[in-house]
Amino acid sequence: MNKRILKVSFAALTAAALTLGITGCAPEKKLTIAFVMGAESDPFFQAMKVGAEAEALAQGVDLVWQGDPSAYDVATQVPIVDNVLAQSPDGLVLIPTDPTGLQASADKAVAAGIAVALVDTTINDTTNAVITITGDNGDGGAKAADAIAAAIGYEDGKTYKVVIGLTSATATTNVGRQVGFEERVASTYPGIQIVDVAYSAANPQTANSNVNNWLTKYPDLAGIFAIDGTNASGAAAALQAKGLTGKIALVGYDAYPANVELIKSGVFTALIAQDPAAEARLAIKTLVEYIKNGTTPSVKDVVIPNVTLDANTSDADFAKYTYVAK
Amino acid sequence: MAKKVIYEVRNASKNYGAVVALDGASLKLHAGEVVGLVGDNGAGKSTLVKVLSGAHSPDGGEIFLEGEPVVWANPREALEAGIETLYQDSGLAQHLTVSQNVFLGREKFVKGIFGKLGFLAKKQMEEEAQADLEAVGIAFPSSNRPVSQLSGGQRQAVAIGRAVSWARKVLILDEPTNHLGARQSAEVLEVIKRAKAKGLGVIFISHTLPHVLAVTDRIVVLRLGQIVRDAPTSEFTADSLIGTITGSYVKEEK
Amino acid sequence: MSNSKQVEVEKQSFLDQVRASFSNQSTLLVVTLVVLGVVFQITSQGIFLSTGTLGTVLNDWGSYILLAVAQTFVVITGGIDLSVGATVSLSSVVAGWVLVKGLGLDSTTSGSDATPYVLLAVLVSLLVGLTVGAINAFLINVLKIVPFIATLATMGAMTGLAIIISGGMPLQGPNNWELGIPYEIFGIQLPISTTVLAVMIITVICGLILHKTKFGLHTFALGSNAFATRAAGISPARQITKVYMLSGGLAGLAGAYAYIRLGAGSPSNGTGMELYAIAAVVIGGVSLMGGVGRIVGIALGTLVLFTVQSGLLMVKVITVSPSLKQVIVALLIVAAVAIQALQKPARK
Repeated sequence: MNKRILKVSFAALTAAALTLGITGCAPEKKLTIAFVMGAESDPFFQAMKVGAEAEALAQGVDLVWQGDPSAYDVATQVPIVDNVLAQSPDGLVLIPTDPTGLQASADKAVAAGIAVALVDTTINDTTNAVITITGDNGDGGAKAADAIAAAIGYEDGKTYKVVIGLTSATATTNVGRQVGFEERVASTYPGIQIVDVAYSAANPQTANSNVNNWLTKYPDLAGIFAIDGTNASGAAAALQAKGLTGKIALVGYDAYPANVELIKSGVFTALIAQDPAAEARLAIKTLVEYIKNGTTPSVKDVVIPNVTLDANTSDADFAKYTYVAK
Repeated sequence: MAKKVIYEVRNASKNYGAVVALDGASLKLHAGEVVGLVGDNGAGKSTLVKVLSGAHSPDGGEIFLEGEPVVWANPREALEAGIETLYQDSGLAQHLTVSQNVFLGREKFVKGIFGKLGFLAKKQMEEEAQADLEAVGIAFPSSNRPVSQLSGGQRQAVAIGRAVSWARKVLILDEPTNHLGARQSAEVLEVIKRAKAKGLGVIFISHTLPHVLAVTDRIVVLRLGQIVRDAPTSEFTADSLIGTITGSYVKEEK
Repeated sequence: MSNSKQVEVEKQSFLDQVRASFSNQSTLLVVTLVVLGVVFQITSQGIFLSTGTLGTVLNDWGSYILLAVAQTFVVITGGIDLSVGATVSLSSVVAGWVLVKGLGLDSTTSGSDATPYVLLAVLVSLLVGLTVGAINAFLINVLKIVPFIATLATMGAMTGLAIIISGGMPLQGPNNWELGIPYEIFGIQLPISTTVLAVMIITVICGLILHKTKFGLHTFALGSNAFATRAAGISPARQITKVYMLSGGLAGLAGAYAYIRLGAGSPSNGTGMELYAIAAVVIGGVSLMGGVGRIVGIALGTLVLFTVQSGLLMVKVITVSPSLKQVIVALLIVAAVAIQALQKPARK
């Protein structure tokens, strides 16, 4: 499907490249790249910001970083994109909070001759985008299943009880990770039973309560998949308070510095990390090359895989993948 | 007969923006005297009450308590000086009990360290409230009952009893017989007579002129922010009082 | 005939006395708790009434009761404090920031070595909470903004501030996990930890303040009739200031509780808590119109709320999906309000 999109959009891309390429070549004008992300409060975007700023500096372009302070929400993002487009940037990096809701915003940017890169999530019709870069939540969930299986010393024929701490039914990243986890368990680890799931409603105290209750309900619990940072914090606290660290496999998501430290002290068996900084760097680099030289990327739809951080991870990799806040 | 002047206001004026509510009003109140304050709606009665009770500062004029000039920064200062006001429709805190209402703002505390921490002497206040209200002749149910369980007349009786029992010098009653039946109104008038006998100066504001004629020693008539008549009650008849309130000619409207 | 009437009157006043110490609402909540306990004990196949589950229920109760008590004082004055959840986030983040960035400590400081730092976290959290309360009081008293809007504004501002200070991530600091672990006395496991016990004591003190002191009386008076309260020489503005600062201070202590519970100050520690606090207040029998409420009811109402939360997770005989749990909790709140509405005319 992606290849079809590429073919269909070839002519349009070339035309756009020519017009934009000419303006981009003017020697004195410094390029401006607008970056509209999801929610400032999310460490994921904090880490993304670090990557974006570093790449903007390296490329010698101005970066306009925008987004809602705390809500990952289509309703607040659309007007933010409108405001940014009114400033006529040369390129737009967009983290679309909704595939349908941001379609018009992206189309509007392209119509105004602004080159668009889509990062982390995507929109329904990516024909006119220069590049789409997504993290792979399904792959992250599968890697979490692998990490739990490895930690509990999975053997066929035995059964293991595992629970999943979720945030809410509407958190889309949760769904991708949960499905990836469940599919990997079904295909590769039939002995693992996913006995329960519960919501944290984005509060680590609630996540903590859920894990405490599971520890009572399943005295033989083998592993916990904490699907995001909130659930990871709550679960880590529960195991630490009850002295169960290392006895129950705990695989979390997102490489908060505090949680990375807890890998070293054995609280987390593993953390599945995304690489938001790499996503941002690639997006900006691709846009700048496209605007300046008309170069289109060799692969248009890039998937940046997740990495598993555990006790065997090198310090260099820890440094590379840990989310750094400004 | 030369009773001492207990409370006096001279030349009080008060404007609310362009509206002149009080325009040089002067009033003397003697100990053991009941003064009726009457006037049409908008004549300035409520404003004068607020000036006397310390709720509003006058723009001009002076206030004297027992001959000494006083300035009230807030109602609390007037209360502490012995001037008690029952506002029209101010009512009681209906979720509180009778005794809690009677002692509101003047609570009694238990002895010792807990008293210092603000712990209330509930039993003591209930008993004293009961005694105080009985002393001023108020019929009411037990003092630990929430006011919300009382009838309208009982609530007003408690409110008046509260004011009478706390007043040390001056008692200002703004429309105390409003919304009351004949029997309850009669009780209120009896309470006013007892307050007078106690040596208090009483200012009685009412639209119900027969009540004013029945209980006051002197009547002060306000019109358009000015005092147009100040004379012993014996000089008024019901008709002459209405004529004075509405003006030298009687208007067709109410 | 006259005899029986006399008896009726005495019975009424005796009932009044019973009600005064242990109100109708409380009785209803105790019955509810017993019913819930039996139902969950059966459906969990005997694990609900265990120290493990009760410990979690009481731990959750501890997280929320201070906010419910704070909300009770505010709601009795006729106001509302939407900023309590954000205050939990901010106070725990500031406490974490002081320990991690200020003193350069991390989670490797643990056990009794960490206790002095935990106490420092409690102090810092309390001060942050009192400050937020003072800001709310300023907005309400001086700028004359209605409490709903004033505290909504501080809620947003404090959430943002917590994110800025923490960088959006948990600040993992020194912690003595023992403080949150239920006691074992003579080999008997109790469901109560030091933190839960501390919160219980604070709740009792707040109950005494609300129902036995002048401060509490004036709180009720203000919510019952602001005009009469002012006429009695009480300054409503001063009472409002004290009440909102008390609310902020209690929310700050709830932030310290969250810090000890999680070993970290996180900008999401208080996410959504204000809504549970308001729900607990409604279930506990506080009138949102002001003037009515009892701490006993609040303590029981909060317990009902978190009994249901944990109980539904412990059910074994059927699978209760997480979404269904949310629906059940919502229905519980509606039922509580409906029962209150039915109770009132019946009393008269």
